[in-house]
Amino acid sequence: MSNGLLQNLESNAIPLLVVALLVWIFLRSRTQALWAEAYRRLRRNKLAMAAVVLLTFAGTVALLDSLSWKSTNSAQSRTVLDQIFGRADERTYSAPMGSQTQELNPRRVASIHLLGTDSVGKDVLYQVLKGFRTAFIIGGFACLIAVPIALFFGMAAGFFGGFLDDVVQFFYTVFGSIPDILLIIALVLMLGKNLLSICFALGFTSWIPLCRLIRGETLKHRDREYVRAAKALGVATPRILAKHILPNLLPAIIISVTLLFSQLVLYESILAYLGVGVGSDTGSWGNMIDAARDELTRDPAVWWPLVSAASALLVLVLSLNILADALRDAIDPRLRTE
Amino acid sequence: MTRYFVRRFLYMIPILIGVSLLTFALFFLIFSPETMARRNLSAKNPTPKMIQQWVASHGYDKPTGELFKRHMVSMLTFDFGISDKTKEPIMDRIEAGALPSLELGALSFGFTLLVGLGLAIVVAYLRGTYIDTVTMGMAVLFLSIPIVVYVIGIQFFFGKMLRYGPLAGYESGWASLKFMILPVLVSIASGAGYYVRLYRTFLLDETSQDYVRTARAKGVRENIVLYKHVLKNAMIPVITTTVAAIPSLILGNLVLESFFGIPGLGNYLVNAIHSLDFAVVRVMVYLGAFLYIVGLLITDVLYAALDPRVRLS
Amino acid sequence: MIAPFRFSVLAAIVGSLAVGLVGCGNNPNPPEWNRDQTYFVAYGTEPQSFDPSVSYNAGDATIMDLVYPSYFRYNFLWQNPWKLDLDVGLTQPKREPFSGNGPDGKPFKGEKWTFEIRHDLRFQNDACFPGGKGRGVTANDMVYAFKRMADSKVEFPLASNLADKVIGWDEYAKGFGKKKNDAQDRVNYDKTLSGVQVDPANPYRFSVAFNQPYPQFQYIMAMHFTTPIPREAVEKYGDLFALHHLVGCGLFRLEEYTPRKRIVLVRNENSPGALYPTVAPPNAEPRLLVDVGKNLPFLNRVEYRIITEPITNYNLFDQGYFDSLGVGQANAPVLLHSIRPGTSMKQRGIEMLKGAYPSVEYLAFNMEDPTFGGYTPQKRKLRQAISLAIDSESYVEIMNQGLGVKTEFLLPRGLCGYDPNYKNPYREYDPKLTKAKQLLAEAGYPNGVDSKGERLTLYYDNYTDNGPSDRLREEFIRKQIQALGITVGSRDTTYAEFVDKTNHKKVQFFNYGWIADYPDAENFCFLLYGPQESPGPNNANYHNPDYDKLFEQMRSMDDGPAREAIIHKMRDMAVEDCPWIYLQENEAPTVYQPWVHNRHSNPILSNLLSYRAIEVDKRLALQNSWNQPVLVPLVVAIILIIIATVPAVQTVNRQRNRRVRRPAGGPH
Repeated sequence: MSNGLLQNLESNAIPLLVVALLVWIFLRSRTQALWAEAYRRLRRNKLAMAAVVLLTFAGTVALLDSLSWKSTNSAQSRTVLDQIFGRADERTYSAPMGSQTQELNPRRVASIHLLGTDSVGKDVLYQVLKGFRTAFIIGGFACLIAVPIALFFGMAAGFFGGFLDDVVQFFYTVFGSIPDILLIIALVLMLGKNLLSICFALGFTSWIPLCRLIRGETLKHRDREYVRAAKALGVATPRILAKHILPNLLPAIIISVTLLFSQLVLYESILAYLGVGVGSDTGSWGNMIDAARDELTRDPAVWWPLVSAASALLVLVLSLNILADALRDAIDPRLRTE
Repeated sequence: MTRYFVRRFLYMIPILIGVSLLTFALFFLIFSPETMARRNLSAKNPTPKMIQQWVASHGYDKPTGELFKRHMVSMLTFDFGISDKTKEPIMDRIEAGALPSLELGALSFGFTLLVGLGLAIVVAYLRGTYIDTVTMGMAVLFLSIPIVVYVIGIQFFFGKMLRYGPLAGYESGWASLKFMILPVLVSIASGAGYYVRLYRTFLLDETSQDYVRTARAKGVRENIVLYKHVLKNAMIPVITTTVAAIPSLILGNLVLESFFGIPGLGNYLVNAIHSLDFAVVRVMVYLGAFLYIVGLLITDVLYAALDPRVRLS
Repeated sequence: MIAPFRFSVLAAIVGSLAVGLVGCGNNPNPPEWNRDQTYFVAYGTEPQSFDPSVSYNAGDATIMDLVYPSYFRYNFLWQNPWKLDLDVGLTQPKREPFSGNGPDGKPFKGEKWTFEIRHDLRFQNDACFPGGKGRGVTANDMVYAFKRMADSKVEFPLASNLADKVIGWDEYAKGFGKKKNDAQDRVNYDKTLSGVQVDPANPYRFSVAFNQPYPQFQYIMAMHFTTPIPREAVEKYGDLFALHHLVGCGLFRLEEYTPRKRIVLVRNENSPGALYPTVAPPNAEPRLLVDVGKNLPFLNRVEYRIITEPITNYNLFDQGYFDSLGVGQANAPVLLHSIRPGTSMKQRGIEMLKGAYPSVEYLAFNMEDPTFGGYTPQKRKLRQAISLAIDSESYVEIMNQGLGVKTEFLLPRGLCGYDPNYKNPYREYDPKLTKAKQLLAEAGYPNGVDSKGERLTLYYDNYTDNGPSDRLREEFIRKQIQALGITVGSRDTTYAEFVDKTNHKKVQFFNYGWIADYPDAENFCFLLYGPQESPGPNNANYHNPDYDKLFEQMRSMDDGPAREAIIHKMRDMAVEDCPWIYLQENEAPTVYQPWVHNRHSNPILSNLLSYRAIEVDKRLALQNSWNQPVLVPLVVAIILIIIATVPAVQTVNRQRNRRVRRPAGGPH
């Protein structure tokens, strides 16, 4: 197995790196007083801890679906998740725990499926779990694109003001006034319809509110004492931005990004409905929900793909929302809702 | 003040030009006029001659610069021309669709706000009780479900199983109200959670202000404090956060309109993108941008009018 | 307690309003017309064009064929084979040889068709006629229709079928200005199109002359392109003639078109009517023969509700608010699935009928693709192996719920050249895939892996903006081909982009369907004709000179054993080269409410509503019994919420009142 893992190095390296990076950021941030205090408060919040556990579970599933290897040299490479669910498919729909397929001439199922099977007989549980990886990629990569753009322009506009501010404001008003859907469809068409181009399109349309927020916050901090003091001491501008202003923006950014992440996961289902979602070789809750439009009209109704996909989506988005609330309370007591 | 508004108004022009430029760039980077012709001609396999004819008669053989100039002139004079695909005057479609869209938008937005505000007041009043906890928990829960699921679920459960109101369709006049039941339910379910959370924060922010403490100290009854003082002041952020969305209601809601068969403008743009009807795309994008900016402008005005602390410069 | 009191008053008002609205009932159709011979039916897409010279899609044809009758119409009762009856036509056309010299001076041997239309036809009343009264129809209006087709600004979709055949077409077409110039065009419409002329002795007779034999022309005369068009209307309404101002001489006329809302047709007072077919096939059901010989139509009014969402349409039909529901309004497999024994629809007497139309659905390889295209024995075997891996029977059964007929070659049943006993050697599915695997190995990919150890990947070019079913099909095909060891990659796009990709030959493997313009073998065999390659209809880009030569030969022949023999030869070539994987001949299901009369699915006809009738009382009674609102859950939910809130309100009030009673010593 380890041998196989090495062979697929290029595709396995990225998820492992991402995990390593997250762990590193977590350990590193604990050494800072502000964050250590925040974590302490977070730990006391039971609901938030439940959300963290669920998110860790979702992340693990996503990770398991990202590590793949080939069992023999010529076989198709399969992820851990594929290996676990390497069971026989049915011919078509079968109800959760059902013993028969739902078709004109029902047949006995080859194996029992906890959440039933879909139109081509694939296990719904397996499909739902595969959706976690897609959700994490969409949320994560889109944020990875949106945040640097927003940070760069927002901080530049807020800090320097003047003409630069006008230009940045002009750009985000222009982009903000074009309907998202046109930008997304256009970008997806331009870049091809795959997971990465959808991430890019979503990232490219979601930086605007974030940029506006960062600009405002920077503007607030620019004239604070400590920044003026640093300026007077002759600290270089990039250093002021990075060492003095950025840390003060982080709480607001982290909360917005958590919310943005959950919004993006929700948005994927609308894209699937509009026919610009991810391809059918990628597990996707949006596609499953979209397919339910037809499935619910069957008699008896095929409800389990819809309910399973919607529940998985709910778990992820709800955890993210709860975590965002808890973070807000933990990091910045002034922002507390109560 | 007047100077400020004139300046803000003039500022719209470069933005609208920027939006149009971007629309042009995006569209013509991706699609050639030939592709547009193929998609718009009814023939299954049009001959090169037919395509050439189509491109010429719709003016897409002109250089993009000239196209753009003509576009800006017709947009600034609100002369929108005809659709590339159906040859209908675009203005006719907009006029016909704006009203149903506005009706659906106003009702669903209005009821969502009303439910959101109502629940926020209840929750602010009952803060700390189990009702507060449960309601706020539900608000987060309801926020975490995609709208497509709401549409499918509500249409299936309330429409098909319980038979409250028509599943889809539209008639003008008072008869239209019964067609709004299900879509309004969908938008309340999917949107109210957000407003409950937002308004609760506003209300509680106000409750902790000094003047409220003073009023309470003076022995003013809690209900009167809540209604007379808190609510009045909390309305400022309520209004300024929602007004910006109002102009865009005219352009309709994509998912609701197509599922519930409401003849609005929600799908006009997306259908036009899919059928590469550029004449419609550019108009709808322009109009969308226009209304969006108007919304921003109104917000600023209201902000200034309602909150004496804000001065415009 | 003021606040909760006020709030409960507000809640009560809103609540009673909601109950009142629910009490309005859930019928989306206008009640006054529900009690009339009005047929309610869904319109599943936005109409593109109702211009008879432009419109070219199955959805819009349902309106077109009721408003714009053509010379022939397909007989309501005949299917596989289909039969042509006269509609606008008075006599069967006369065909005679016609020869002369073409514009290049070369002699040709063509033919001339002479037609005569009914003398009693009048256009509908419309403001474009003097006094608003519809005038009588003459052959001039038929000739005007042909002139419009020649006008390149009109976007006539079959221009390539007629332009090189009708005498004088190109010369006439040149007279139209390149740019929009109405004056010049109007003058041109006064000139004559030499091949299409009115008989000077008889204003109802006209002839069309061709430079070659053109047996398929009879089918063109059964399409709405060849309907009488009043020149007054086109000139008065311009662009609006296409969708909003239809002026025809059919059984119905357009009363209202509101975009995204509805299309209303009402009976045309000026129409002399038409007859229910009098000649029935021997196997016709007796219930379809009740109205034989009666004057059509039976309906007063047809109301199409434009709702593009299939699930919504299906549910509205389920509630009884649509009288029938077919493909294009809802998803075909779903319609079939719901009508199985024991379902609620079946118990309520709803009936599903299938009808075949000349069509073929297939998977195609791009023959110019470096990996999967090409004509070497290896490439052929590769395609044959994949073809053997796809099981049409389970495709029909699972993806289409038993809708459709497995097909061995591109010809559907009932056409010249179709052989019921023929079995395509590369379409015989064996679950073990023995022969397929062997062919794959011979092609150089044992178990899907090439000599360098790389796994073969086949990209399936799909489009997914037409609803979920395209994605499900992709899943199915992937599952079947991957059984061979070949990876199936996904390349989803929107339909627009897919069309673009096929036109530029940038596809590898894709699903496609063809619905014939008319039931003739030529309209199928040309799908593999080399010169018609992309962007033409031959989107597999199949080139076989022998096939092309035979096609050119059979194209102008009349049906018969000689033509059949040639088609069989073509078939054997195409099957061996395997550019296509033939999936199925499509069938269209329609479900009907129990109150609809003359239920019969014959999808080659678009004017089916001319034959229908409804029992209004039965409709009212059943709709009523199916749609009683269920109020109990609503009431229970409201009561539960109120009960749950009361204790909290009381607690809070107690606390607050305590505080208020201590004026001086508040919290601060």
